[in-house]
Amino acid sequence: MTVAAAHSVLDRTLALHPQVALRPEPFGALAYHYGTRRLVFLKHPDLVRVVRSLDRHDTVADALIACDIAPARRPAFATAIAGLLDSEMLDDRAR
Amino acid sequence: MDNELTEAQDRDDAPTATLDEQVLDEQLIEEISIDGMCGVY
Repeated sequence: MTVAAAHSVLDRTLALHPQVALRPEPFGALAYHYGTRRLVFLKHPDLVRVVRSLDRHDTVADALIACDIAPARRPAFATAIAGLLDSEMLDDRAR
Repeated sequence: MDNELTEAQDRDDAPTATLDEQVLDEQLIEEISIDGMCGVY
């Protein structure tokens, strides 16, 4: 995952893929894709909040702000969200 | 005296730098392969 790829995700309009289920866990959540059978650990509750809120915001950047993610943490969140996009856990949606 | 002040400032700075590094290195996702579990279900 390049820095540019992670940064470019901030302007995207995303949502959880319809075939993905999020199961709450003590460390965050477990995401399972019923189509690809991929499994991803979301290792912080803040990331789970952001992912669940994506469908209520026009951009990923808006979701990070709305969830009070500190600016210093946003690059790590952008990288994680870009990774979730690569693994098809997230999908583009119309605004 | 000056040395004591400098050392105190160094100590004050150290935890902040460490915290910043932790924030930047935060690994938020981990993909798990379940290929080896195909026979289980």
